[in-house]
Amino acid sequence: MLNKIKHLKRDFSQWSVLTVTIALFVAIPLFSILFNLFSGVGEMWKHIVSHYLFDFISNSFILIIGTGLLTFFFGTSCAWFVSQYKFPFRKWIERLLFLPLAIPSYIVAYSYVGLFDNGGTIIRALQAIGLPIQKIDFMNIYGLIIVLSFSLFPYVYASARVMFLGLPKSIYESSILLGASNKRYFFSVALPLASPAIIGGLFLVFMEVLNDFGAAKYYGINTFTTGIFRSWTMLEDLQSAVYLSALLVILVFIIVGIVAWQRGNKSFAIKGNKSEKNNFTRRELKGKKRVLYLFILSIPLLLGFILPVFQLIIWAIQTFSEMFNLDLLWTALQSLTVAFFAAFITIITALALIYFSRWNQFKQINFFKRIGTIGYVIPGAIIGIGIIKSSQGIITFFSSNFNLNVGYIFYGSSVVLIYAYVFRFLSVTFNPLEANSLKTGKHLSESSYLLGSSKLKTLFRIDLPLIKNAIASSFILIFIDVLKELPLTLILKPYNLKTLAISAYGYAEDELVAEAALPSLVLILIVVFLMFILKIDKKNE
Amino acid sequence: MNNILEIEGLTKSYDGKKKALNDCNFFLKKGEICAIVGESGSGKTTLLRLIAGLERPNNGCIKINNKIVSSNTRITPPQKRQIGMVFQDYALFPHMTVEENISFGLKKPGASEIENLLSLIKMDAYGKSYPSELSGGQEQRVALARTLALKPDLLLLDEPFSNLDIGLKSELRKEIKSVVKELKTSLIFITHDLYDAIEIADKIIFLKDGIVLNNSKVNDFVNTENEEIKKMISELKLNADQLLKLVK
Repeated sequence: MLNKIKHLKRDFSQWSVLTVTIALFVAIPLFSILFNLFSGVGEMWKHIVSHYLFDFISNSFILIIGTGLLTFFFGTSCAWFVSQYKFPFRKWIERLLFLPLAIPSYIVAYSYVGLFDNGGTIIRALQAIGLPIQKIDFMNIYGLIIVLSFSLFPYVYASARVMFLGLPKSIYESSILLGASNKRYFFSVALPLASPAIIGGLFLVFMEVLNDFGAAKYYGINTFTTGIFRSWTMLEDLQSAVYLSALLVILVFIIVGIVAWQRGNKSFAIKGNKSEKNNFTRRELKGKKRVLYLFILSIPLLLGFILPVFQLIIWAIQTFSEMFNLDLLWTALQSLTVAFFAAFITIITALALIYFSRWNQFKQINFFKRIGTIGYVIPGAIIGIGIIKSSQGIITFFSSNFNLNVGYIFYGSSVVLIYAYVFRFLSVTFNPLEANSLKTGKHLSESSYLLGSSKLKTLFRIDLPLIKNAIASSFILIFIDVLKELPLTLILKPYNLKTLAISAYGYAEDELVAEAALPSLVLILIVVFLMFILKIDKKNE
Repeated sequence: MNNILEIEGLTKSYDGKKKALNDCNFFLKKGEICAIVGESGSGKTTLLRLIAGLERPNNGCIKINNKIVSSNTRITPPQKRQIGMVFQDYALFPHMTVEENISFGLKKPGASEIENLLSLIKMDAYGKSYPSELSGGQEQRVALARTLALKPDLLLLDEPFSNLDIGLKSELRKEIKSVVKELKTSLIFITHDLYDAIEIADKIIFLKDGIVLNNSKVNDFVNTENEEIKKMISELKLNADQLLKLVK
């Protein structure tokens, strides 16, 4: 015991304090939600429970299950076809199937109305070839499931593709020699081996579905996220929004638990030398199958990217003279500036957490590191409400104790918004950067210490230069995520800030969907450009 | 006292249960070369890392130049111990040239100083090369030069001969011994090959399951009554004359 106290004193350092401080500071929104649960229910809580809560729960479940099934189907089948077969334009299709990630799902939702509603582009085309269709109604929960599925299936596609590509040729050959058909090989061997990765992809889809606000709001579907906004803005009951947020956090953790349980210990190590894997050759398709596979793969690409962009281009041409002005450029510039600062600060925070926690001598402190990086599974609306609640507390504290009005810092600048992005997207950069830094091994840093350099000097001369590519990739990923983010930005943006996402949402809310097209297209163009830089599939690999 | 290193009751456990090193005691005089031998998992690398300050002991004390550098209450960071260490994988900085690697630890690296070091390791023509362009033996020489550039009081080498072919190994053994004696520094190296240990060390420490089973001069080591050590020596397949020659 005495030894333990002595070791505590010996091993305690500024790095331990800094790790805990950064992690706790970043996770304030989550603590705020939990803390405020003890303040009792809000005035409108009974009303929400009796009129809306069932809808929130049932719709959220239906969306998760429906989107999960469709994204599994499209993501896995596309990944299987592109990884196993040769057919015309295969290389192009393989890359292009990532592109739906470039369009935020709320923008896909707007474009579907333009495509399939009365007088919509597709409807007119169908009528022109003699089909008597008036409209295809997407403004319901099933429509929302389709929109979200075509928008989010690349998460499953990316994870499944990597696994299918990694399967050694010998496994396929053994199965065939043991008498298995191609179908049996897929269902009994390849799919079970890829299941942990596919479940990982589905988990990201679920998180995006729960985070969605724009598409659900536009289609009039009551979900937890729209409910949180409704309680706060229309019912003016922030405390009930906190309670809804807490329920959503519970739902998220149930999903996290199920995913962890499903994945369990299923990390199949696939043996086989590298050259053998590289020798894997795609099977040649013959005859009609070549066209059939190309057609099947074109469907998600068409519905997830090409048609929505096509509709946006039509609208953009119609409204170009009215919408292409300095205001649009100013909006784009604000979007880029906010995304730049958010990405920069998130990277700095992630690096600080990674290295400070490594330099600290207490293993127990790693738990705090995990708390700080939990943001990606917490929907944006919850983070927003958590921050509003905690900032209210801080404003009141300064006002009553020091007679200082600090409210303008929270509501008049983008400081709080950027802080919220850091919490939400920290794990997007933390996990790959930590993995990369571990890959370089500890001997390089240790050599530097033994050659007389301090920890900080080693960080700048050895550690960071060795992971500079990973830092650049992470920066671009966060940049893209921040550009696309809507619910968090809506809640926390200062009154004078307008981003491309906010601008598109604002026009669509005012029933000016065509006017929303140009800011949406600018947003998509920037994201596609950044994905191109990133070699688009790197994130999920 | 002319001990460069003193270790008293050193104990280290990574998981709080199994002891990687248990109550280890020994000392090393200035200018001495000490080999640590033992099977994999016997605690050799842990001992070296504790001396370097890269790990913290659960108990015991390490003194370097009569100053406590590790104890239950005090830790001197690696950069302040005047110790040099070459890792088994050499740990050359891959984004730096040979020259940059060698001059890394020097406060004001002079061109002639770097040239001298390059010449010492017989790599004058490789100053602008990157580690990825070198062979294993060359990498090891650079790692050694980089460490020696700081003129450490104590040099630690983790399995310095394990990745080398027989010819290179023999050459490097001689070079290391002569450089250490020339610079009047002290050396501790880990090896699983008893031949290496007997040929260049003044003293051999034999570790088993984290415990020091033998700590003696090479002469005493080869004449020990310990059955395990006797068995190891017999596996060298040397007759008495050859062994005597090797010791000398």
